[in-house]
Amino acid sequence: MRRALLPLLLLAGCSKGPEVDLQYIAEARSLGFEWAMVNDLASRGKLTPAYVATMRESLREQLGTTASALTQPQSQYGNQIRALIAEPANAPAAKLRTHAGKLKQIEDSLESN
Amino acid sequence: MKPDSLIKLVSELLDLPLYDVDGKYCGVVDDVELTGGPGKDLKLKALLVGPGAYKGRLPGWAMWLVTKIAGNRITRVPMDKVNSIGAAVHLECSGWQLGLHKSERRAAEWIPHEGAL
Amino acid sequence: MNPIELTLGIMTAVGGFVDISQVVFAALAGSVFGYSLIWVFALSTVGIIVYGEMSGRVAAVAKQPVFNLIRHRLGLKLGLITLAASLLSTLITCAAEIGGLGLLLRYLTGAPYLLMAAISTVTLMACIWVLPFKWIERIFGLLGLLMLVFVFALTAIDPPWEKIAAGFLPQIPPSLSSKELLNFSYFAVAIFSAVMFPYETYFYSSGGIEEEWGPKDLRTNRITSIVGMALGSLLSIAILASAAQLFGPAGVGPQIPGSVALQTAIPFGPIGLVLALLGILFAVAGAAIETCMANAYSIAQFFGWIWGRHKKPWEAPRFTIAWVSLLLLSLAIVLTGVDPMSLVQYAIVFSILVLPLTYLPLMLLADDKKYMGKHVNGRLAKVLGWLFFVMIAVMAVAALPLFLITSGGQG
Repeated sequence: MRRALLPLLLLAGCSKGPEVDLQYIAEARSLGFEWAMVNDLASRGKLTPAYVATMRESLREQLGTTASALTQPQSQYGNQIRALIAEPANAPAAKLRTHAGKLKQIEDSLESN
Repeated sequence: MKPDSLIKLVSELLDLPLYDVDGKYCGVVDDVELTGGPGKDLKLKALLVGPGAYKGRLPGWAMWLVTKIAGNRITRVPMDKVNSIGAAVHLECSGWQLGLHKSERRAAEWIPHEGAL
Repeated sequence: MNPIELTLGIMTAVGGFVDISQVVFAALAGSVFGYSLIWVFALSTVGIIVYGEMSGRVAAVAKQPVFNLIRHRLGLKLGLITLAASLLSTLITCAAEIGGLGLLLRYLTGAPYLLMAAISTVTLMACIWVLPFKWIERIFGLLGLLMLVFVFALTAIDPPWEKIAAGFLPQIPPSLSSKELLNFSYFAVAIFSAVMFPYETYFYSSGGIEEEWGPKDLRTNRITSIVGMALGSLLSIAILASAAQLFGPAGVGPQIPGSVALQTAIPFGPIGLVLALLGILFAVAGAAIETCMANAYSIAQFFGWIWGRHKKPWEAPRFTIAWVSLLLLSLAIVLTGVDPMSLVQYAIVFSILVLPLTYLPLMLLADDKKYMGKHVNGRLAKVLGWLFFVMIAVMAVAALPLFLITSGGQG
């Protein structure tokens, strides 16, 4: 029984697809909304310049790491994440929320399947 | 003396901290030295302090590692220098007399003697 | 009991309670599960109060620190295993704290993270070298009280207080999928680990010896443990509750430590932001010192070296070499470039694995009339101590599988 399980486990570990990428989609969604929050607060003068610059850099760096971890980078969600990363650091919060919102929809639909 | 008394004493004595007559902390009882043998009275001769005394209490590979890190020094504390044994072992003399602070002295040569409030 | 000393002790305990792991997991827990993990913070705080009080009592009555007694009680072999396990988990925790310092200074100044981590380490080294023990504790503990800004921020955003209160009752949110339930379980284990880190009892008991506690200080020990740690946990709960109110509905699950400061920026602007970052900075710096010293105490006490910061560094040379080396080793781990958030996760998992080895000897010692005399564990301490021991033993078994299955709570 154990011998039969091992190749299955190995296969599971090597599998690709939206199920495996779900955690990265959630991560990118969260980072996108957070980036939007930072830019929104920055535009209202609630943050220091050093903090804004550092947070933007960290968040975009994390998004890059998340994008490179995708097993299906050419998918709809992969394109959405790349579009998010392509936004300038000081992009309007509403635009960033739009990208993150689309990722949220993909995430919700994958979770309900 | 009951047959299990010395063994019980030794097991209680091992790993106790040592304090000298000035109240200075001098280390831990790492092993004990016994005299006597089969058919003879067993007596406590000395306490052994230092990483070298772990031999016999640790497996070979662990002893090798300890020796590489901490050396294999053993300092012998004769039982006649022991004043009392309770939650700690209290000595009748200074730890320096018995050579119990040699490693600290050597290590102190590496430490700058200034800057602390 | 000197009321000023007692008050300072409590305030130090409050400001020194939180570390980088608690900050990270409080914010994540609130954003993902709302208020439903507050009870885990509360329960684990009771656990650390029980064991913290025990370790202080052992130090005051037996007048020996915990690791001396662990070696005598468990013997050389098992004692060495306990020492090795606790050294590893506390070293990783120290590295996580230093990584946290680097990040926090980066958020404050914009300067490079690794440079800030190195400067932090050198500064901590200078503090431990120059300052007497009490000053070290007091300075970082009291400055950590800047984190009270999180409590004020929570009040300012007018949260649902009835939901926060309800969060103190043990619960599992209804209708969780099996994946979410596993995540919830991992968060519960992680919070327990973050609150009950083993280094806390080693540092607390050794600190008691440093300050020459005796039986007359038992009441102070009890009050400081209970009041100080309980109030300290409110800081973490405030972060969790703010995250539930501000991050969860906004779709934010904070991935980096700097995110938590947004909670204070929202109501109070840049001043709130800076106070939050400074508060976390000093709390984390205090935790870095505690983890480094806890390891140095453990090594020195186990091998019978002269130890203690109540002595000048050259009066306890091997102990000094130990804490300097441990700080540098922690920095070296950070300089490998490992993600500080990963270090936090590893610290959490390693620590929960080691917790049973830490708390079992402490329970046995505090229960032993030969060492404790009339100050042996009473019925309440005994019952609570064993109850928490069973809980952490179960969590120690579950921690690694949960970490792997949930990818560290990421789902």
